[in-house]
Amino acid sequence: MASDDAAVGAGVIHDIGYQRYAGPRLGRRHVVTALYLHSLRTAFGLGRSAAAKIFPGIVVGVAFAAAVVLVAVRSQAGGVIPYTYLQFIDGLGIPLIVFLAVIAPELVSRDLRSRVLPLYFSRPLRRSDYALAKLAATVSAVWLLLAGPLLLIFLGGAFSRSGGASAVWREFTDFLGGLGYAAMTAVVLGAFAVPLASLASRRAIAAVVIVVGFVATAPVIGVVNAIGGATAQQLSPLVNPATLLTGLEAWIYRDEKLDVGRYGPLYLLVAVALVTACGAALIARYRKVTV
Amino acid sequence: MNATIASITARALLGRRRFLLLLPLPLLLVGLAWLAHGLDPDPSAWGEPVVAGLGFAVVLPMIALVVGTGVLGAEIDDGTIVHVLATPVARRDIVLAKLAVAAGVTTAVTATAMFLTGVIVGSVRFGLGLAVACVVCSIAYSAVFLALSLLTRRPVLLGLLYVLIWEGLLGNLLAGSRVLSIQQYAVAIAAEIAPSPVLHARLSLPLALAMSAAFAVGGTLLAIDRLRSFRLAGETS
Amino acid sequence: MPPSTGTVELHGVSRWYGNVVAVNDVSMTLGPGVTGLLGPNGAGKTTLLQMMAGFLPPSRGELTVAGRPSWRNPEIYRVLGLVADREAVPGFLTAWQFVLASARLHELPDPERATERALGQMELHDAWHRRLGTYSKGMRQRARVAAALVHQPTVLLLDEPFNGMDPRQRLHMMDLLHRTADAGAIVLFSSHILEEVEQVSGTVQVMVAGRLAASGDYRSIRRLMTHRPHVFAIRSSDDRRLAVALMAEPAVAGVDIGQSGLTVRAGDYGTFARALPRIVQRERIRVRQVTPSDESLESVFAYLVAQ
Repeated sequence: MASDDAAVGAGVIHDIGYQRYAGPRLGRRHVVTALYLHSLRTAFGLGRSAAAKIFPGIVVGVAFAAAVVLVAVRSQAGGVIPYTYLQFIDGLGIPLIVFLAVIAPELVSRDLRSRVLPLYFSRPLRRSDYALAKLAATVSAVWLLLAGPLLLIFLGGAFSRSGGASAVWREFTDFLGGLGYAAMTAVVLGAFAVPLASLASRRAIAAVVIVVGFVATAPVIGVVNAIGGATAQQLSPLVNPATLLTGLEAWIYRDEKLDVGRYGPLYLLVAVALVTACGAALIARYRKVTV
Repeated sequence: MNATIASITARALLGRRRFLLLLPLPLLLVGLAWLAHGLDPDPSAWGEPVVAGLGFAVVLPMIALVVGTGVLGAEIDDGTIVHVLATPVARRDIVLAKLAVAAGVTTAVTATAMFLTGVIVGSVRFGLGLAVACVVCSIAYSAVFLALSLLTRRPVLLGLLYVLIWEGLLGNLLAGSRVLSIQQYAVAIAAEIAPSPVLHARLSLPLALAMSAAFAVGGTLLAIDRLRSFRLAGETS
Repeated sequence: MPPSTGTVELHGVSRWYGNVVAVNDVSMTLGPGVTGLLGPNGAGKTTLLQMMAGFLPPSRGELTVAGRPSWRNPEIYRVLGLVADREAVPGFLTAWQFVLASARLHELPDPERATERALGQMELHDAWHRRLGTYSKGMRQRARVAAALVHQPTVLLLDEPFNGMDPRQRLHMMDLLHRTADAGAIVLFSSHILEEVEQVSGTVQVMVAGRLAASGDYRSIRRLMTHRPHVFAIRSSDDRRLAVALMAEPAVAGVDIGQSGLTVRAGDYGTFARALPRIVQRERIRVRQVTPSDESLESVFAYLVAQ
């Protein structure tokens, strides 16, 4: 009000009871955990408007629908297993790419667009912590997406299988194997998608970049398989993360679907190298990004 | 069709960074075809993954998506569309101008790449067949994505869902869904002009042409209607 | 400028989104001249402007511009110009190209001359060959106004046009708005910043929480609200003596003596305004400052909100 600024002379700071917080403060670990959990919830649209749940919901629905169909088919067919856990995961390839194209931009590009990174980095949160927390959230989200339907298949399979306790045990070990492969899938695909998303600050562009990144190299493999000899065919799946996983699966689980010859360990090496390189690229990106 | 709007849209599209996203894909297509041809002149083994797997399944839809959502979506997002809408220009002319630019740019990029690929894979006639299919389906895709830009705030994601899940996944699994898949129209049209063991047409030509026209016209009409009832979102909404 | 072809009329216009009523039963008639649409943020000003501009249909009520509804009526833009609240402009165009495009889209017979005139009016003739992306915020604002004026509309709607303008630019804009209105146009601008409105126009439409709370000259609106006494802050050479003298006046309801001067509550504005100089002269007190502390729109808002 005008009458107030007529005061002449010294200013005074009023005591309105404001106090600095002097109590215990949770440390960096808690900050990272909070960021991780929050990102995980964001990925599935929890805690946000209904519209944010649509796209992840569609993919979750597709995954569960496929699981339900598989359970139904298995129970009808008695003991015959039309698709193993591993094949189920491979079959979900395209929905997984869509899922990553939806959540990775949501987690990473949105923060870049709205320029909230200074808010994050002015807390006891290192840039690498931020990058890795986002990556971990993406990987966890993909794993959860797969684990739910896998559990459903296990329950359906355990109840429909004849053969008593040993059959259930076998089912359980298959299920654990499936969970392991789901983890591998989550790590490799997630590590590939998140750095791509961090390149774009608009979610739509990031989504297209991720999809193109996954999909563009697949026909190349087709071509190499058509032309090349046995060695080329055994090596070609290395260039695409999804087929890289299939190759890895073939080697680890002794699945005869894909012939990788003696190059099994190479697949593992490439997978590890890819994940490490992507993680490093992501951290480097966030070190460099100026807000 | 309004020339002023078309020229501004074209300038906006070609100047943006998202346009540069488009260039690696057609280069990859032509490069891969050329490389494969060098290693194995007989395309019967590698022709299908290149032409159908990369060309019609990836290059055409992705470029159409980026361009088709870019001509209108960007202006809606940042609000500059009001400068065009607050004029007496008929909404039909606005949509047609945007459609012309989207279809034109998509066609220019994809038809050229597919023509070159076709020439490498087979013959000039094959190249022409692929190019014509690109022209027709560019128009259909552009109309659909233009309409999507006006129907939803996330047109790119919906477009990705359509291309990946509907055309990609379901198109391989369910025979029925192919009738609504623009990709299949492209294959059918190309196969009719220049039959080749590389292309497996799943639909007949009359059906493909009719459905392409339906998508093109339907998408355009829907876009025009939505533009007439366009509501401006304020800064706070 | 052609004479006004009519008025902007609203009858019982309401707009709601689900359970949220953004505009509640607003009726007004706007004629030639400058009118300020005032209200705190969230009062419904932008919603009302969008309805007038044909970018939102009213949920109920009638809204006509020059006799015709503006919703789904592109022809209305021949006489209507809008400067929206979104600041974005196509950065890759120069100001000249931007306004020229607007002139062409309005199907003007001589787009280049109209562009020159509009840019001149907005004082952009030095910079019209530079791209809009290089412009400052105020210049971009002026470019948008130029594009809205290029077809010489008889109804000009501006949503928060003074946002981000420095005082000099504001003065120029105010001047322009008045000149436009003097030529017969209906100019409506919205604002939540009081100083802008106080200087531009005396005529206001005040919106609070979606309703039209008051119309007319805002000083007279204030005076109409006689329940609250007028408050003045006075600083003088001898506050205490002045306080004593003022307490003797029947128009004065109370006086507070404070560190920074006197706070005087007057029941009758007119009588007090005449009494004060008389008292000061008689007592030979030098008055340094007299400020009506709640003559501003802030208190008008506050008062109307408290209703």
